Amino acid sequence: MTFTGTNGMSILTMIFKEIRHRKINFLLAVLAVMTAVAFLVAFYTARKASARETARLMLSMGYNLHIIARDADVGAFLITGIPDKTMPEAYLEKLASQKNISYNHLLATLEGKIEWRGKEIILTGLAPEVCPPGQKKPPMTFRVETGTAYVGHRIAETLQVRKDDAITLSGKTLRVERCLGESGGTDDMRIQCSLTDAQAILDLPGQITAIKAVDCLCFAKGDPVAILRKEIASILPEAQVLQVKSLANARAKQRQMVHKIFAVMLPFVIAACGVWIGVLAVMNVRDRQQEIGLLRALGYHTANVLLLFLGRAVLVGVFGAIAGFLLGTGLGLRFGPGIFEITARTMVRPEFSLFVLSCLLAPLFAVVASFVSTMIAVTYDPAATLREE
Amino acid sequence: MLTLQDLTKTYRTRVGQVKALEGVNLEIDKGEFVVACGPSGSGKTTLLMMVAAMLRPSAGVVRFDGRDVYEMAVPDRARFRADNIGFVFQMFHLVPYLNVRENILVAGGAVGRIDKGRAEELIQQLGLQHRASHRPAELSAGEKQRTAIARALLNRPKLILADEPTGNLDPENARSVLRYLHDFQRAGGTVIVATHGPAARQFATRTIYLRDGMVKA
Repeated sequence: MTFTGTNGMSILTMIFKEIRHRKINFLLAVLAVMTAVAFLVAFYTARKASARETARLMLSMGYNLHIIARDADVGAFLITGIPDKTMPEAYLEKLASQKNISYNHLLATLEGKIEWRGKEIILTGLAPEVCPPGQKKPPMTFRVETGTAYVGHRIAETLQVRKDDAITLSGKTLRVERCLGESGGTDDMRIQCSLTDAQAILDLPGQITAIKAVDCLCFAKGDPVAILRKEIASILPEAQVLQVKSLANARAKQRQMVHKIFAVMLPFVIAACGVWIGVLAVMNVRDRQQEIGLLRALGYHTANVLLLFLGRAVLVGVFGAIAGFLLGTGLGLRFGPGIFEITARTMVRPEFSLFVLSCLLAPLFAVVASFVSTMIAVTYDPAATLREE
Repeated sequence: MLTLQDLTKTYRTRVGQVKALEGVNLEIDKGEFVVACGPSGSGKTTLLMMVAAMLRPSAGVVRFDGRDVYEMAVPDRARFRADNIGFVFQMFHLVPYLNVRENILVAGGAVGRIDKGRAEELIQQLGLQHRASHRPAELSAGEKQRTAIARALLNRPKLILADEPTGNLDPENARSVLRYLHDFQRAGGTVIVATHGPAARQFATRTIYLRDGMVKA
């Protein structure tokens, strides 16, 4: 007996003929797999989009962690937004070299207020953003090349600064790379340059005022700030940690919403579809009791009967995976933005990697769901079945 | 060819143990046409299932060409059935989604010997050529049973076991089916027919009577 024989009745031929004969049962089973796959694909597609959306939002909201010198006046920092003490630039390297830590997107800054052309402005020096090992992510902020400056909207407007102008700050000349749009905040009164340039301008070589970061504790149990403080204190006892709660909470809320929907509904849908397939498979086996008895009487082995039923389950899985992927992708594109509050619809796109995954896992799912009925089929006593005339 | 020694079968039921066969001893030679008669529940079907290596006896031995069939491993017994035994049932037991030709060929699947030429030959012999592409639901009872006989003959078995083969047929079709079985016997095959009707006896080389699980003289 061969599974794919060409000369006569192969098991595969029998599977296809049986499917044609009992179309409704097969279609209902495919529908069950399709539902499970569509749910997974739709939610995963939307979830990925949500993650992209969250990243985008965070990019615009900025960093939610500030690591400043231990002896810095937190009250003054909260009022002015600028730490009054500096710390060595080497701290950045120390933090960035750690593995399995709960923060990312490390950005060393040196900030200070200076007088320029009769106005008080904020000077911010930015080091290139770094990520700890194994957490490589695209940077959240732009990189400022040495010798260039990004000028805040208010400064540019009031002091008539334009792109490519040469500006001199405490004897250091920088080329204006860009004049920023209006932010309505302190950024409008800020000139941003590279960290080394800022260190030269402020005469603070090798010093920084803060390391900004993003925490990765959306799903942590307990107080995330306490966890972070404990973690960073063990690496940098000379620093203190402040978390911008509103940003951290917004980020955590967005991620947790997706996670909760997925975690609650996924087991339910999978279980329901599994039971559905299982019941249909049992019905199929009951319908075919006499056939199984006959095949056993004719000398078919247990393995042949197993193939007959598991092969059918595999086909249910494959067809269900294809239909489910198409439906799930369609649903994800159509309804994902509404469910996950994704404002940028362009963030939602088909996840083709899921197609391969669906085609591999859905047949396995169908086989597992049909397992009990298949075992019933192979353990039927053919004599008992055939005696039941 | 076939030896049954002290064959006993006891079923366990909710109301206790039921003896379906008790101490049956039989010797059946090659080329015999044996008719096992008896009322319903006399143990005819149980006897056939045990001969077919499908139902292990509670006691006793079934020997086929000298080999104890229940000494064989399960896969070997399956192969033994496929190679040596053809079945004909009262309810035909055709696979509903296969047509006549495929229902005949399905018997070859078990032995990996798909003999399409033999199937066509049987279709001709049994007068099924106009029905070869039809499914069981589209056949008359007589055609169904002839398909079942063709399926039983496909692997050129040594023995055909027929359980009430005419039970669902009109007299004309019943005679026709028995004649096919008789032809097989005349060609050297061995046939055991279990029936409670008298029609098969005219072809029998031997008739045995079963009552309450025992062979009566």
